[in-house]
Amino acid sequence: MFHKEFRAIIFQNVLILCASAVLWKQTTVAATQVTRPRGVSLARASLYSPDADFTCLDGSATFPFRYVNDDYCDCQDGSDEPGTSACPNGSFYCRNLGHEAMIVPSSRVNDGICDCCDAADEYQSGANCVNTCKELGSAAQEEAQRRYELESQGYAIKLEYINKGRQAKLSQQERNMALKAEQVEAEALRAEKEREKHEAEEPERQALDKYRQIEQEAVKEKEEIERSKQETEASKAFDWLDSNQDGKLQVEELQTHVAFDQNQDGTVTVEEAKFFLHNEEEMEKSDFIATGWPLIKPFVMKAQGLENPSQPDQQTGEIPLPDDHQQDESMPETEGEEEEDEEHEEEAEPVKPSPVTPNSVEYDAETQELIEVANKARNSYDEADRRLRDLEREIRQLEESNSKDYGPNEEYQPMDGQCYEYSDREYTYKLCPFDNGSQRPKHGGSETRLGSWDSWDGPAENKYGAMKYDKGVQCWNGPQRSLKVHLSCGMENQLLSVSEPNRCEYEMKFTTPAACGEPKKPDDGDSEIHDEL
Amino acid sequence: MDHSWLLFTLVICGVTIQSCTAVDRGNFKTCDQNAFCKRQRATQLGNSPWEILLDSLNSTINSLQVQVISSRSQARLQLQLIALADSTLHLQLDEINPIKLRYRAQESLSGSPQLSSLKILEQSSDSISLSFGGTGKAILLVKPFRLDVYDGDQLVISVNARGLLNFEHQRVRKSNEAAATEANPSDPVEGLEQEEGEVKNPEEKPQEEEEPGLWEETFKSHVDSKPYGPTSVGVDISFPGSRHVYGIPEHADTFALKQTKNGDPYRLYNTDVFEYELYNPMALYGAVPFMIAKRQQGAVGVFWNNAAETYVDIEESSSGSVVSSLMNLVSGGGNEPHQQTHWFSESGIIDLYIMTGPTPKDVVRQYGSLTGTTPLPQRFALGYHQCRWNYNDQEDVHNVDKGFDLHDIPYDVLWLDIEHTDGKKYFTWDPIKFPDPLEMAQNLTAKGRKLVTIVDPHMKRDSSFFFHEHCEQNDFYVKDKDGKIYEGWCWPGSASYPDFFNPAVRDYWASRFALDKYEGTSLDVYTWNDMNEPSVFNGPEVTMPKDCLHYGGYEHRDVHNMYGMMVVEGTIRGQLMRSDYKLRPFVLSRSFFAGSQRFGAVWTGDNIADWEHLAIAVPMLLSLSVSGIPFCGADVGGFFNNPNSELLTRWYQAGAFQPFFRGHAHLHTKRREPWLFDEQTNKLIKSSIKKRYTYLPLWYTLFYEHEKTATPPMRPLWMEYPQDVETFSMDNQFLLGDSILVHPVVRSGETEVSVYFPGDNTLWYEIETYKVYQGSGYQTIPVAINKIPVFQRGGTIVPKKERARRASSLMAKDPYTLIVTLDKQGKAQGRLYVDDGQSLDYQKGSYLILELSMENHVLSSKISNQGAFETPELIEKIVIAGLNRSPSSIEDNTGRAVEYRYDTTSQVLVLRKPNLSVSKEWDVSLKM
Repeated sequence: MFHKEFRAIIFQNVLILCASAVLWKQTTVAATQVTRPRGVSLARASLYSPDADFTCLDGSATFPFRYVNDDYCDCQDGSDEPGTSACPNGSFYCRNLGHEAMIVPSSRVNDGICDCCDAADEYQSGANCVNTCKELGSAAQEEAQRRYELESQGYAIKLEYINKGRQAKLSQQERNMALKAEQVEAEALRAEKEREKHEAEEPERQALDKYRQIEQEAVKEKEEIERSKQETEASKAFDWLDSNQDGKLQVEELQTHVAFDQNQDGTVTVEEAKFFLHNEEEMEKSDFIATGWPLIKPFVMKAQGLENPSQPDQQTGEIPLPDDHQQDESMPETEGEEEEDEEHEEEAEPVKPSPVTPNSVEYDAETQELIEVANKARNSYDEADRRLRDLEREIRQLEESNSKDYGPNEEYQPMDGQCYEYSDREYTYKLCPFDNGSQRPKHGGSETRLGSWDSWDGPAENKYGAMKYDKGVQCWNGPQRSLKVHLSCGMENQLLSVSEPNRCEYEMKFTTPAACGEPKKPDDGDSEIHDEL
Repeated sequence: MDHSWLLFTLVICGVTIQSCTAVDRGNFKTCDQNAFCKRQRATQLGNSPWEILLDSLNSTINSLQVQVISSRSQARLQLQLIALADSTLHLQLDEINPIKLRYRAQESLSGSPQLSSLKILEQSSDSISLSFGGTGKAILLVKPFRLDVYDGDQLVISVNARGLLNFEHQRVRKSNEAAATEANPSDPVEGLEQEEGEVKNPEEKPQEEEEPGLWEETFKSHVDSKPYGPTSVGVDISFPGSRHVYGIPEHADTFALKQTKNGDPYRLYNTDVFEYELYNPMALYGAVPFMIAKRQQGAVGVFWNNAAETYVDIEESSSGSVVSSLMNLVSGGGNEPHQQTHWFSESGIIDLYIMTGPTPKDVVRQYGSLTGTTPLPQRFALGYHQCRWNYNDQEDVHNVDKGFDLHDIPYDVLWLDIEHTDGKKYFTWDPIKFPDPLEMAQNLTAKGRKLVTIVDPHMKRDSSFFFHEHCEQNDFYVKDKDGKIYEGWCWPGSASYPDFFNPAVRDYWASRFALDKYEGTSLDVYTWNDMNEPSVFNGPEVTMPKDCLHYGGYEHRDVHNMYGMMVVEGTIRGQLMRSDYKLRPFVLSRSFFAGSQRFGAVWTGDNIADWEHLAIAVPMLLSLSVSGIPFCGADVGGFFNNPNSELLTRWYQAGAFQPFFRGHAHLHTKRREPWLFDEQTNKLIKSSIKKRYTYLPLWYTLFYEHEKTATPPMRPLWMEYPQDVETFSMDNQFLLGDSILVHPVVRSGETEVSVYFPGDNTLWYEIETYKVYQGSGYQTIPVAINKIPVFQRGGTIVPKKERARRASSLMAKDPYTLIVTLDKQGKAQGRLYVDDGQSLDYQKGSYLILELSMENHVLSSKISNQGAFETPELIEKIVIAGLNRSPSSIEDNTGRAVEYRYDTTSQVLVLRKPNLSVSKEWDVSLKM
């Protein structure tokens, strides 16, 4: 009896999980025409033999063949209903003659929606599906042709890129080798100069020792003079600034001097003035001399150069130029200046060791001679040292660039050093491959770093399909910005679009010849057409 | 590109709430910061001055009217007692000759309640005994005033038993000097006296120090001008015999309500609470002043029909107290502790409906007949909803839609949050991101899906915005206290709020949903009304000032809790009108009031992606369900923050068995479409959603039953097992209908849970393995990540459709599977409701109800209205679990043999392709 056959198979499938990839395309190549149940691919046709009992493809049960496609699900793997919607986890194969064959989940069979271009999935739903395979097929073919042409042309450019990239790599390597050789030389030279310096400095030191005492006294004396000079200067400045002569500096008094317009908007605001008075309304002379003047002096100095000579500043006449150190400390720094300073620092020459305060003491001729010899040795050493460090820096940069992965054939190398822009409604985006990505509001505002080059980030099968840029500017109350760039084949390097699918996670689409694959000539149609015609 | 994000965050964090990590309690009033709450709470127990003036008694066949006077102030109230159909008693108390008419909430009611008979049985100088609705019994006590309501001989509700009736009369404000010379006895000041707690002759009253908060109140920088002074009303309601009370949503708290004496009372004041805290009585987005009190042998309900800000204090009586002994004297019952509640509102009248049950289902039916039930939604609304703030543009929508298909995950509705609009002007589209909304919607609807767009009630003050211009021209906006158009701050920036209490405004609003008015929409586009508390970022407690003015001259304070519901009423009508009353409407609302159930679905607002919020969804949804709002859900995954894959999986597993099933996420969260997670998570989420789709016939039947009976689809266990004390304070299990028992897993890393199986001798079948458990009692059930414990009760028949498709509409013609789980007597019963799934034709009788039953090895379908609706649907499979041996053959009523299989181990019989028609009656006999 029928029901006994089924005893074994029921209710083993307590939880049926559907196949995860449910929609995929399949091209089947088959040789002979076989009658097969609806929804079965040619490749599986032999598993459905009407002459024998059917065994579920997972082997879980066997039953008469008439249960195949009888619109009732008997197999836990859904294999008995390839052509109906009966099994929750089944799949349906459509031949799509003239286009690509397709496998859709069984739930799409007779649901009133045309999924297969040959309308095979809607044989009973009453949906008016028309066969669009021919149109789709030729459209796909056209697309394949277009793609082929694009790939062909793109690939030609890519070959150039590869060439350039390899050459660049080669010349970098050559340069690197040359630099390394120079480095060895330079190291030797520096060592020699260092030795010479030590040799020259020793007699100089001995000679100078006896002058040490005299010097210290001279320094002390100088400091004293300096202090009293400062006080006099401050006192004079106070008297001058204290225009109402009441022995106190008031906000209004400072407001009359354009020198105190810190933001240079043309007026000295109360806040700007109060800054110099330690946020008080007024300041006593003693306080001014002690703490006020050092604050104010740089502004006076700065203004001295700007204001015309008939200004009272000039009339006081005796205010000495401030020394650099003092100015650096007191001047408010803007961001731009800060950056300049950094650059400046990097390139700055090392501070020369100056063993004595010049001009404070007269040395005898012999000592003077020793000093000059030592100075010369020091200069030579500095020069050798600088040269070595320049070399080292260049080598470091080269190696950094060399360590970048420009693709399997260096094809992405030519993009390094270039930048590409894209604008939408609000922002202009910039991608500088292998360096960074950024955005800038179109209507003014500063640039925001979206990320710095990190690594290739494509899926396992196509590592070079995407780039990752991370550690961008922190979002307010959020994560650091990051950027993923999806690369695809195109005739030129071009930033196509930018989106922000997750907050502060940006995505760019970028075309480049470097991403073009070796062109494959498209098939001239569906191979199965010939098979089955 | 994150520019707009920054703006929102600033708004959210800077204006509405300062902290971005948890609710800022400082933005919301405590009882102590709320003058009327403080005054009412200070009312002294006992010594109620209110007495019934028997001389003034009048009665009709349905009602009695009598005056109540305060022996202290001589103030008089008009009391009206009306008998309503279905064992319901209506008590109204209003002041006589008020300076200004008090607001009476009417929109909460679904119509004029049906009257019943009221008879005075006995009258003495101490009391009036009456009967109502034939069998109901109540006693009005004269001095002090008290109303006792009985179930048979047992006292079940007592009003003013504790003497907390406090009705603040309207009065003329006296300047301090005037108050010193005049003490006008004709201007009683009841509330103040009560607070002083002693009986005083008004004439002897010393110079009255005006208490702060009577005529003006300040909260943070907001001043409430209170031109009508103190107007609050309050009274106590005791539930002798009841140890548990439920309802009064919306609060993020346990299902069984807690004692409040050591903290704030439960507050009902619709507010947009940012990142709300759990397990406290703070007010949330909606308010339903309805409560069920549960005794072991029965249940009663009270509905406090007042739309103003309301508080409810809950205190369990201690045995031996004055009041409880008084109660015992009256009821003759035991001296057991019971729940005593104290209700008070800032304005309006005392408008109390008393529902006497006696079963919980009776109480919800009685409440449903007053405020209405949820009309059967379209089938799609019961499917899965995919939402996010925000799907960025048309391409994004297209890709998400494609993703669901690619991964074979069903969903019915794609939702668009505020970013789809042109600058937060509702009824418009962002022209760049959504240039062709019709085509976009068409792409969804071609696959049987729907689109929902958000339409909030705050209107951008922008002269180029037609809606704003129309409101300005027609004087449609809510006014401030000085009569100027009120301007608040919300998503669009400066915004005004249409006065939805004005019928003309609702008509206008409704007209804007016409397809030729709301451009880019079709009949497949439905609506989401958010922020309708209303949310006002710069307003007091993130809402509208109470002294704003509405239609009819009422203050916002009088109507506040109903504003959100009135918005939705307009939207629903708009949808009905645009389809010429052919299609059922669908609207989701965040704010609600008693009666909102008539207008569709609600959700629990902006929850958080953590385990506690997953857990609280059960008590919150149960509270809504028993309070008349059955179509409710919580954002799956949690709105704020990012759920990990385990939490998201568990949330989908729970959400699939909760009424409104929508995934939603905040703008700042990571994308969380299922396929963005690992393979297993994606599979498990898919499996949960598909499971939901297979149970849609059950959901649909339950919602139809709800419309007719008011019984909610999602039920507390005590609704089916009203005498089982074990179920009375259960927050981790619920029932769907009377058949499915669900125990969500709400803790990380859980490997087993303790499931309570109710019902002595009741069998419970695990829904996939048919493994049997017997009640009543707890059993440990192991849980793996792939599912949560769900069981079908023995004795039930559950209709399913096992061919889950892309969208529910595509399953309309698919065959059914019946799951029959037998009880110990081998019997089972169930029901299947069938109609076209979308139109209003069912209201004209175009539907079928199949009464399914199994008895004596015969399964049958009876249809009382056979022929009323035709459908090609068949029954393709019948599973009968709990059959101890295999039949020898099976045949249907035409004599046709039915193929079957029987599994001895699981004792499950499967009928293969019985192909019985849904449209016709049939039976199937198992020959044993």
